[in-house]
Amino acid sequence: MVIVETKDITKVYQKGTDVPIYAVRNVSLSISRGEFVAVMGPSGSGKSTLMNIMGCLDRPGEGHVLLDGQPVHTLSDEDLARVRNEKIGFVFQSFNLLPNTSALENVELPLIYSDRDHITETAKSALEKVGLADRLHHTPAELSGGQQQRVAIARALVNDPEILFADEPTGNLDSRAGYEIMALFQDLHAQGRTLVLVTHDAGLAGYATRIIQIADGRITSDKENRKTRVARDELKKMAETPEVNE
Amino acid sequence: MKTGRILTHSIRELGKNKPRTFFMMIGIVIGVTTVTLVLSAGLGARRKVMERVRKFGLNSLMVSAGGGREMGGGTASLPVVTLKADDAEAIKHEIRAVKDTAPFNRKGDGMLKYREKSYTTRVFGVTPSWQPVWDWYAEKGNFISDDDHARMNRVCVIAPTVQQELFGEADPIGEQIRIGTVPFEIIGIMEPKGISPGGGDMDNRVYIPLSTFSRRIANVDHITNIKVLLRDRADMNRAVEDIRSLLRGRHSLAPGVPDDFRITTPVEVTRMAERVSGTFSLFLVLVAAVSLVAGGFVITNIMLISIGERRREIGLRMAVGARARDIRNQFLVETITITVFGGLAGIVIGIGGAFVMEVLTEIPVAFSWHGAALGLVFSALVGLAAGVHPAKRAAAIQPVEALSKQG
Ligand SMILES: Nc1ncnc2c1ncn2[C@@H]1O[C@H](COP(=O)(O)OP(=O)(O)OP(=O)(O)O)[C@@H](O)[C@H]1O
Ligand SMILES: [Mg+2]
Repeated sequence: MVIVETKDITKVYQKGTDVPIYAVRNVSLSISRGEFVAVMGPSGSGKSTLMNIMGCLDRPGEGHVLLDGQPVHTLSDEDLARVRNEKIGFVFQSFNLLPNTSALENVELPLIYSDRDHITETAKSALEKVGLADRLHHTPAELSGGQQQRVAIARALVNDPEILFADEPTGNLDSRAGYEIMALFQDLHAQGRTLVLVTHDAGLAGYATRIIQIADGRITSDKENRKTRVARDELKKMAETPEVNE
Repeated sequence: MKTGRILTHSIRELGKNKPRTFFMMIGIVIGVTTVTLVLSAGLGARRKVMERVRKFGLNSLMVSAGGGREMGGGTASLPVVTLKADDAEAIKHEIRAVKDTAPFNRKGDGMLKYREKSYTTRVFGVTPSWQPVWDWYAEKGNFISDDDHARMNRVCVIAPTVQQELFGEADPIGEQIRIGTVPFEIIGIMEPKGISPGGGDMDNRVYIPLSTFSRRIANVDHITNIKVLLRDRADMNRAVEDIRSLLRGRHSLAPGVPDDFRITTPVEVTRMAERVSGTFSLFLVLVAAVSLVAGGFVITNIMLISIGERRREIGLRMAVGARARDIRNQFLVETITITVFGGLAGIVIGIGGAFVMEVLTEIPVAFSWHGAALGLVFSALVGLAAGVHPAKRAAAIQPVEALSKQG
């Protein structure tokens, strides 16, 4: 079953009289429930722009986006906010946690803007799922980078979204913490979550089950990944030779 | 449910940046402190005035000889000799609204002598109606009687300050004193009355029969004042007009000739006393208004800076589902909360300051609920006014741009 579908979307940036930049050019793709998709490409190729459009955070210049089969271009900004709140989770390279705010309160944030009840309990169980049950009242400054990113993932999952978008989620982390995050994503995938991972790193893309390559805003390849890497294996290897990796 | 949640969340966010919150509050605190101080002091002064006016009598008025400005000032520049005790009788009997009248004459510098001691005080020549008309009675002994008045008896009633000066703790009733060279027997002591609307000590005087005063002290047959008691204070304006035309007739004043007397009502007494404190209050209220407005601008600016610093946070909130209006409301709630709490602090400090001021300057204070409510309403309004622009700015932020900036 298709969750997100883009139909011939294009996003052009034009600054003054400069030549227009096609951040995304005529992209059509569809992502089905349960997929773990990596969007891969060099810096400036349009990965983030594409992700933001699929995640209803941005609107395409041309073309349509369908979410759960419903066109979103007819929706108002308020309706889009509601769609993001209920159906989409985002994880960013910089964790974007509220400073001086406990992990629990950070995870509660999306629920505050929803109609749901039992906010605290829901946020607690999301933190448990990312392995931070013992860090509920720590502020970001009291957490490691990997832990902060896991708080951000809990925040993205707390509304039980249809699809999770992660833009370079390991970009600010050391390799060990990065593998832990990838292992977490693979666990979520195994539980049936739909994930979209944006990265410029072919190694990281290898953990996904499908890899879409883009360059200059265009899809250059879209293939199933038959030799999926397993992040837990890397972690095990590191545990055996700790001194090799910082 | 959801809105309440967003509101409480917004208020809690404030506690996370205390220095910023503090600086945003200062202007409001100063403004509301001033408002509270001014209104409390104003209310206190007003109460004091009202109390003095009550002493004068809310349903009474004063006729003074001469057109002078000074309240009860009797002989302003030229001695005016036209006001007579008969005028008081006429007012009492010919004007329906009038219940009673108390004519009197007075002298500012009567030299009292008791044995070796002497004391200069004001001498009042009065009739027995003084007591009911002023609602002011002898506390010990007797007041001047009809008989005393008719027979020009040399008796006097002294007020507490005089008693204190000449006799201390001893009982003065029955004692002989001299006023000028004339001997008098003390027959009573007046109850204390305190400070007059004009600020004088009303207990520093001695009363003698008006007839005795005219014959033995002043050697004149005119008087300086008539205190008039009305049946009903609602008749005040009518009574003033009636007394005026009656006296003009009795004094044979041709049309166009100014009055040779002056009528003072409690309204004028109040006005006189309030004129001074009014100007001062107006000045301080202006100071308060200026500091509230300045405080508002400070808040707007700090809020704008803060929104610049919090762009990422705003983008993130939008990414997780905040609508533009949720963001707008959050910042409005933040500014209004800051100003309302600033206002509350201002009220508390203002009340404290008012009591300190009372101790230091003896200007009486009274806590003004109206002032507090007004201060809070103004704080909230300033918060709203100061917050609208920054809140709109925050709500207009595009999440993609806010999140893409590295920081
Ligand atoms: N707001 C903007 N204004 C102008 N140009 C923009 C804007 N946002 C993105 N672009 C341009 O669009 C292109 C695609 O940007 P995008 O951020 O999607 O790339 P990316 O693949 O995510 O790169 P990176 O790996 O460095 O994050 C880039 O050339 C970028 O300069
Ligand atoms: Mg990017």
